[in-house]
Amino acid sequence: MADTHKQWLEKLEADSRAKQEQFMNDIAAKLRHPRMALKPQHPFRGAPDFWNAFEWSVEERIKQFTDNFLSVGGHVARLETMDEAKSFIVQKADEMSAKYVVRQNQPELDALDLEGALPASKVSVWNTDSEQYWRARAAEADFGIVLADHAVAYTGSVTVLSAENKGRSVSLLPTVLIIIIPIERLKTRLGEVLATFDEAGHDHLPAGIHFISGPSRSSDIENDLTIGVHGPGIVYALLVG
Amino acid sequence: MGTGAKTGATVKARADLALNDEFLRKAVRFTTERLRNGKKKATDEHGNWEEWRERGRQIRLHTIAHLDYYLNLFVNNARANGVHVHFANTAEEAVKLTLDIAEHAGAKSVVKSKSMVSEELHLNHALESIGVEAVETDLGEYIIQLAGEMPSHIVIPAIHKNRYQIADLLSKEAGYTLPPDTTALAGFVRKKMREKFLEAEIGMTGCNFAIAETGSMVLFENEGNARMVSTVPKTQITLMGMERIIPSWADLEVMATLLPRSATGQKLTMYMSGITGPRRAEDADGPDEMHIIIIDNGRSLQLGDPEFQELLNCIRCGACLNACPVYRHIGGHAYGSTYSGPIGAVLTPSLNKNIAEWDDIANASSLCGACYEACPVKIPLHDMLVYLRRRKVESGNGSMMESIGMQGFAAVMGSSARLGGVLRLGKLGQKLVVRSGVIKTKLGPLKGWNTYRVTPSLPKESFRDRWDTLDQELKHGLKQMDPTMQNRMEELVKKREQEEKQGKGGHGHG
Repeated sequence: MADTHKQWLEKLEADSRAKQEQFMNDIAAKLRHPRMALKPQHPFRGAPDFWNAFEWSVEERIKQFTDNFLSVGGHVARLETMDEAKSFIVQKADEMSAKYVVRQNQPELDALDLEGALPASKVSVWNTDSEQYWRARAAEADFGIVLADHAVAYTGSVTVLSAENKGRSVSLLPTVLIIIIPIERLKTRLGEVLATFDEAGHDHLPAGIHFISGPSRSSDIENDLTIGVHGPGIVYALLVG
Repeated sequence: MGTGAKTGATVKARADLALNDEFLRKAVRFTTERLRNGKKKATDEHGNWEEWRERGRQIRLHTIAHLDYYLNLFVNNARANGVHVHFANTAEEAVKLTLDIAEHAGAKSVVKSKSMVSEELHLNHALESIGVEAVETDLGEYIIQLAGEMPSHIVIPAIHKNRYQIADLLSKEAGYTLPPDTTALAGFVRKKMREKFLEAEIGMTGCNFAIAETGSMVLFENEGNARMVSTVPKTQITLMGMERIIPSWADLEVMATLLPRSATGQKLTMYMSGITGPRRAEDADGPDEMHIIIIDNGRSLQLGDPEFQELLNCIRCGACLNACPVYRHIGGHAYGSTYSGPIGAVLTPSLNKNIAEWDDIANASSLCGACYEACPVKIPLHDMLVYLRRRKVESGNGSMMESIGMQGFAAVMGSSARLGGVLRLGKLGQKLVVRSGVIKTKLGPLKGWNTYRVTPSLPKESFRDRWDTLDQELKHGLKQMDPTMQNRMEELVKKREQEEKQGKGGHGHG
């Protein structure tokens, strides 16, 4: 079966490569130019110059991020240290009696020792046991805890990148999402974060790059806003530092 | 395919149905106004909107003008990331590829996030024909799937359903009665969909943008279902229109600035995801196998066409629908196809290359240009509607009566003697139909106009009749006004002003 599946994929790829040439030649012919082999000049790449020069102070970034995140129904806490973040999470877990907690496997989160601080909850650490079906662990979780890779004040967004130790499901499947944002990762503009992906290039990008700007929402029924349709309905952004 | 409200044969027939549906009209008006106001607020707040629009337009123009380069680059990079890329010239080819992948994945069910391309392909029925359940997971799409209808708005597909109708549909699915309460209904869907996400073998998405330089595909959404279908199932299939390309992540900043603000007035959708290949070997979630099907289905017909190439710049925000006075009155189903509103009126005939069959939807527009004003990438939709009408006539699909009428008009207006003759005849003839100064008859060609209006009668003495006298006066009398005449006129003006003050005003004539 494995072999036939591989053979089938190889056949599809051969078909695709043959068709690619025809497809691109057809486009070039319709555009009335020969096939373009060299990168064309792109004088309008990215945002206008006046925008790229725009930057807020740290205080302004914190204020704007907070305003934006609150305006879409998210929650924000401004904290000094990771210890405060720990107490915040413990208190919330207690308040909501979170039975299942799943967190990313990152040293900053290891240091919180939530496993020790939440004896009544089952705390799972992402991808630490290859026998587990981790998507199901995330799906059953009351709390998902992640560390932001980037954040953007202007749009009130947090960026999380997937990796072996950082599951995409952890920020998606639990009922409550808690995102810790080290303050130095909070930028002004979306473009500051997007530029890092251009710099990385295709062979250094993670499979999943996710910008999260608040709780899951829909207005599909009579324009009536509903929170938590598929993704987490309760989202805490903890600005730390 | 559930063709929903497409029961009438023409736009006019379908629009009549919509105009009789009071709830639909109110819902469409309310939603479009909400979205339009949201957009206005968001764009005002952001500032320099015209510069952003122009930048968006330039990026789209540049990419489409070099599409062979950028699409090829995207394909090579996506393949290097481990994606299986396929090409489909037609909807049939795309369906065939999808079914082939579904069969090899041993799929029993496919969970889908919102994709207009998939609507174009009528994929759900094809999947069901080979025994694969296709589940729409976007709340609005799920509702219209249960109802067996088509989306009536590009951003809010179930705009035409009220909560009671939705509660009925979902109760049938649940097997027990759900209250007509938004939170309860959404709660049911969340629970139901969780099971579907976890058991489906295939997740299927559309694609808002594809980044050529890294081979990544980008999805904008608010619910989180697109993340679900691209994270949980083992196989991911992405359907992508061949024109979805932008060169870089830097360009995505411009699109991310334009798209959510234009669609819903948001600064950014709740989720924006960039997916670069299937899960890495060491990752514990994400699809094992990822397919991208690049679809032409009539798009390349626009390439190299000076009148319609800009159609490919569209970023599917729906702002033109919300701005359109015609859409506001007749709703999406009256357009009778996947894409509605001004963009649909141009895109449908263009993609289908059968102007004759879709000719009437090009007429469902007042050519007011509100769609162009609203468009974040400045597509001149109202001009395109005129081009479409012209092509329809040129291809011999015009109305015969209209052609005869226009020829007659040209013959009469081409000669002043002929016009004078016709007007004299008209003055005689109208005696039969004029009642108290206006014509109200609904006979013959006057039926369409007089159903809602009246036609003014021809005056006893027309401007043309008086021209000789006026011409004389202009040449001689007005050169130097006689002082006594001037005094008399000034007195007349004073007298009239006084009369107006006393409330005797009014400019009667005849």
